[in-house]
Amino acid sequence: MNDVLVTTLLIVTLFLLLGSGIWIGLTLAGVAWVGMQLFSSRPAGDAMAVTVWGAASSWTLTALPLFIWMGEILFRTKLSESMFRGLAPWVSRLPGRLLHTNVIGCTIFAAVSGSSAATCATIGKMTLPELAKRGYPDDITVGSLAGAGTLGLLIPPSIIMIVYGVTADVSIAHLFVAGILPGIVLAGLFSLYLGVWAMLNKDRVPPPDQVLSFAQKLGESRHLIPVVLLIGAVLGSIYAGVATATEAAAVGVVGALVLSGVQRSLNWVTFRESLLGATRLYCMIALILAGAQFLTLSMGYIGLPRHLAEFVRSLGLTPFMLMIALSIFYIILGCFLDGISMVVLTMGVILPTVQAAGFDLVWFGIFIVIVVEMAQITPPVGFNLFVLQGMTGREITWIARVTMPFFFLMCGMVLLLWFVPQLATWLPSHM
Amino acid sequence: QTKWDLPAAYPANNFHTENLEQFAQDVDKATNGKLKIQVHANASLFKAPEIKRAVQGGQAQIGEILLVNFQNEWPIFGADGIPFLADSYDESMKLWRAQKPMLEKKLADQGLMVLYAVAWPPQGIYTKRTLNSAADMKGLKWRAYSPATARIAELVGAQPVTVQQAELSQAMATGVIDSYMSSGATGYDTKTYEYIKNWYDTQAWLPKNAVIVNKAAFAALDKPTQDALLKAGAQAEARGWAMSRKANTETLEKLKANGMQILQPSAQLKTDMKKVGDQMLKEWLEKAGAEGQQLVDSYRKM
Amino acid sequence: MRRWLDLLYDASAWLAALAMIGVLVSVLASIVSRQLGFNVPGTDAYAGYAMAAAGFLALAHTLKRNEHIRVTLILGRLQGAKRHALEMWALTGGLLLAALFAFYSVRLAWVSHAINDVSTGNDATPLWIPQLTMALGTIVLFIAFVDEWVLELRGRRQVVDSEEALHNE
Ligand code: NA
Ligand code: NA
Repeated sequence: MNDVLVTTLLIVTLFLLLGSGIWIGLTLAGVAWVGMQLFSSRPAGDAMAVTVWGAASSWTLTALPLFIWMGEILFRTKLSESMFRGLAPWVSRLPGRLLHTNVIGCTIFAAVSGSSAATCATIGKMTLPELAKRGYPDDITVGSLAGAGTLGLLIPPSIIMIVYGVTADVSIAHLFVAGILPGIVLAGLFSLYLGVWAMLNKDRVPPPDQVLSFAQKLGESRHLIPVVLLIGAVLGSIYAGVATATEAAAVGVVGALVLSGVQRSLNWVTFRESLLGATRLYCMIALILAGAQFLTLSMGYIGLPRHLAEFVRSLGLTPFMLMIALSIFYIILGCFLDGISMVVLTMGVILPTVQAAGFDLVWFGIFIVIVVEMAQITPPVGFNLFVLQGMTGREITWIARVTMPFFFLMCGMVLLLWFVPQLATWLPSHM
Repeated sequence: QTKWDLPAAYPANNFHTENLEQFAQDVDKATNGKLKIQVHANASLFKAPEIKRAVQGGQAQIGEILLVNFQNEWPIFGADGIPFLADSYDESMKLWRAQKPMLEKKLADQGLMVLYAVAWPPQGIYTKRTLNSAADMKGLKWRAYSPATARIAELVGAQPVTVQQAELSQAMATGVIDSYMSSGATGYDTKTYEYIKNWYDTQAWLPKNAVIVNKAAFAALDKPTQDALLKAGAQAEARGWAMSRKANTETLEKLKANGMQILQPSAQLKTDMKKVGDQMLKEWLEKAGAEGQQLVDSYRKM
Repeated sequence: MRRWLDLLYDASAWLAALAMIGVLVSVLASIVSRQLGFNVPGTDAYAGYAMAAAGFLALAHTLKRNEHIRVTLILGRLQGAKRHALEMWALTGGLLLAALFAFYSVRLAWVSHAINDVSTGNDATPLWIPQLTMALGTIVLFIAFVDEWVLELRGRRQVVDSEEALHNE
């Protein structure tokens, strides 16, 4: 069967099912089903059940529901409000003011969480309502949240780095350290963009809450204490060796419960609402993850990602052109597959090519993480887009559109990483 | 032309996977392209625990499994995970010859057949402490990733800690664990030398990967293709064991180059560990019953 | 009938919520046991099973609350009979896929039981037991789709605005 024909047929099926309003997780399963029945000789149903069960019960994922629950608890406390009170005096002089809270919040939380969806869901739960209340326009707040949420992958700890490190035989510790500078630079690019946007759209940025003296600012910062304590507890549990990065999510839930107890916002109603809310939000994501996992399996059988990777390899490109070709390759794949699937399905073919071209494998790991970050925000299959659709109820096309500038910023980050490779390689070489 | 999918759990650069690739090429050549085997390395199709089930159910016609993984299902699968029962490549080969007829019978009942098996390099102890006897292992934070490694911890008084492979590096860096048992190869792959500096070459056991085939899929092949497959399997087995020895020597060299001390266990430590092994063999025999006794007897006669 | 169905979705959702607590408890058990120096074997596996239960058992409840996401770009622009027709198509598609999902989930647990499939981890759980949650959850999802399908057919389906969405607007 001709690959182009198979691809066309699957993409047409995908858009047909999605466009007609079939639930996203079921659509992915449907496309996977069609692909397997038509283009592989394997029976689809049992393979689907085995692989969906394996993914849904996989221990590596347990941090996701727990972090989502933590976000639901915090949302019902005064924590987000006090976080804003504490941050406001410091960012109110910057163009864009509180818009930067998404970027700052995600950058800090990324140091706790290894997943982009969890970062997006947890921070969004706190910032979106507060920003809306203060009159910040939702296109820029939702867009910056979707973009900054992806920092969860680049700033350690990071699930995708572990997958890549094991696959490519690269030190995971080196990868973690290598992600720090690019993560901060990318966060800086996001903030820079927010600042420029704010200067060009002065009328759309609400006025600062109030103007304060330095002493008053310091005084207001006391409101940051709870959030600092919570993040400190979660991070501390990892670095003190009390919990692994995955287990730290449970520390986060307990910490959030304690905080809401101290603030007297914990009662049966808020506990029940946070628990059921978290269960539903996780369930929504789990159905999509199940469909995505089945689609990955189907792609593995049909071999499309592998063939495409072989095609890129066969082109015999110069290193720079190879990097550009790989970026395009992963951006296209990223529209349809999630990041971890992209890595496991293609690395076997891509790694030898990359090594032959003389790429540093730690550098390449950071490159991969950034293109995987892009995959989180490109439609039709982008997990940050799904999380935000679940949280805001807005159409996915709208969310993808408002996130577009951040996608281009990440493309810029890839180029920057090419011309300044030391961003990724300097820190690990000094370990 | 027939196409088979071969799910495997280890990365493309692992010697088991390289051997599988070579095996697939041999089959392709020997059958003039009539049987094409696509290796899906790195758990890209099915994860390690799912592979046996996938071959059993016909979702893949052939697959590579780690035998000890399935000891909860049937104790004989776990025979190569008993410490100090077979503690060298030669002994391990003997154990495999004793194990094979029993596995063939069991797998046949499940609609499976075993094509070949290759041992992993021998297991030693990674530890931050120096060990002179098993008493020194008391209170170690010991990674327990299988029932056997958990039991060893209990018997020597170490604290068994559950840490997944994915978080091994980080767990060592932050001190969640300070010791675990594995081969030199695993230690090199996970960069254990960045955190732990001692490896005691106890040669405790050599777990095996086995390549299993769905019997119905095998029966559907014509006779020449079947023969070609079996022949390529036998070649892959011989090649695989040699590759394993070579990988062991090479990775120990590489570990040394990265600052790991490769230590021979003291006489006392050996005696103590032997005791642990005897205890675990006894417990295993209680579980495995007559079958288990039969396996151990026929192994010891070889 | 209506009351029984709603009770079914709610009961299933509460089981899912309990499973969510189960995830937390399992992970905490693994942290605490390590600190206090005792061993609870298989906490990682139990956390995984509980997570699967939380995901699958809440499927129907989440559907009824309209919190499973989909693209409503075209649906939102249609009115009256056309909208009804497209909703029927989407619900029929969803219904069929949910039926497949439920059928093979039941089969998964059934085959696991038949071939005595056991977890390979320290927990050594017979896998059909935790897989029952997947079978149960997907069956309830299928029932919920039939429910929605019939309601839409009779023109009585009320699409609730997602509560989540309201939080943030
Ligand atoms: Na992170
Ligand atoms: Na995408």
